[in-house]
Amino acid sequence: MVNYFKQLIFILVIPLIFSCGNSSENNNSDDFSVPDSVLNEDDPLIVSEQAMADIISNISSPVEMSALIKESGVQFNYKYLNPTDNIDSYNTTFKQALNLGILGADLGYLNMYNKTGTVLSYITSIKTLADNIKVGQFFDFSTLKRLATNSDNLDSLMYISVSSFDQMDVFLRENNRSDVSTLIVTGVWIEGLFLATQVVKDAPNKEIEERIGEQKLILSDLLLILNNYKRDKKIFDLIEMINKIKEQYANVTISYEVGEPEAVEVDGVLTIIQNEKSIVNITQDQIKSITKEVENVRNFVVK
Amino acid sequence: MKKIFIILLSVIVFAVVVKSQCNETLVTVCCSGLAKNATYLKELKVKLKAKEAGKKEPIAKYSLMLNKGTHYRFSVCNAKEFTGKAILQLYDKDRLLGSSYMSNKHFPAFDFVCNKTAVYQVLMSFEDGQEGCAVGVLSMIE
Repeated sequence: MVNYFKQLIFILVIPLIFSCGNSSENNNSDDFSVPDSVLNEDDPLIVSEQAMADIISNISSPVEMSALIKESGVQFNYKYLNPTDNIDSYNTTFKQALNLGILGADLGYLNMYNKTGTVLSYITSIKTLADNIKVGQFFDFSTLKRLATNSDNLDSLMYISVSSFDQMDVFLRENNRSDVSTLIVTGVWIEGLFLATQVVKDAPNKEIEERIGEQKLILSDLLLILNNYKRDKKIFDLIEMINKIKEQYANVTISYEVGEPEAVEVDGVLTIIQNEKSIVNITQDQIKSITKEVENVRNFVVK
Repeated sequence: MKKIFIILLSVIVFAVVVKSQCNETLVTVCCSGLAKNATYLKELKVKLKAKEAGKKEPIAKYSLMLNKGTHYRFSVCNAKEFTGKAILQLYDKDRLLGSSYMSNKHFPAFDFVCNKTAVYQVLMSFEDGQEGCAVGVLSMIE
């Protein structure tokens, strides 16, 4: 009988040891300058964790911006990307987290244009940054590397890339490291807007300009979650810079045309067509001033 | 005592198998069923207990930013080991825009042609408040 219980304990305990090994290793945030004090009871978060989760979930989709750029017919251009050579200079969690987001958005852009050759160096850099902030376990590097060697694997590559970022975000928030998650998402957002503004600078396009204008909807939410950590000098400076982008959006307006949705069947799939429309009013001057401020923030982040 | 040991061992093994089926395996299976012209964007995992007597049926809520000019697809996949069939509903504030369950029929997917950039709400529940595990996959159709 004793033997059976010994075996049972072995079966129960051994997997626990292995499954917990990584998490204890990943709870250390060594050099991040946002102290735990910003999370204590005397200084509660301005935005609840649930609200933050919602906001973060709404921001983190670099794939859609890249898809829009590709659909517009604009040619792929390496000059828009943050070169991976820069990553050695990112030696604080603040910079590592922001640039993880930046490179994540770049990876979406590369994936969308099927640049599998370059994807590999971005995946390697992302893995390095992710390891530095103790979330590297969410990147299945060997699978990503294998997928990146064949352009036929674009769908899987896209899925694993996006999914890895989502898992990382969930892990960080569940482990009271929403500050790091917020910075990653901020990096994703900055790079998405940077790509869009650089593209229209080279080749004006109405749809992309409209998408740039729509970022007004996200900007306030992003600032709201960043404000949770404004006691940190670096984050405070970042907020100040993003506030300058916000100022350029002051006169960008979004109006709505009412309409009823209709359900039709298209190629055997139930399809809902939304007839309510949003219309963005943004001028060329506003785009220019937004572009300038986005360049400032992006340069501050990647330098 | 040997029987107790075997039963306990079976329960542990079963629990591990069920867990894997209900999570990443299900996501992978659901994603592999996406159309060739679909690009994966996000997954919404849901595992809910059965409705308790006198209480409202459990519902999982998510918010999603959807962009004007994009053709989205919401696909739903259920874990086989649960009886509950998932219902995915898309709302714009309080207004129901689309559902994977209409006229007493479950649809494996529905498309949404978005013309208004906004934050939308996705609600996921199980038919008749049954216990269930499912994944909703949001993709973009080219």
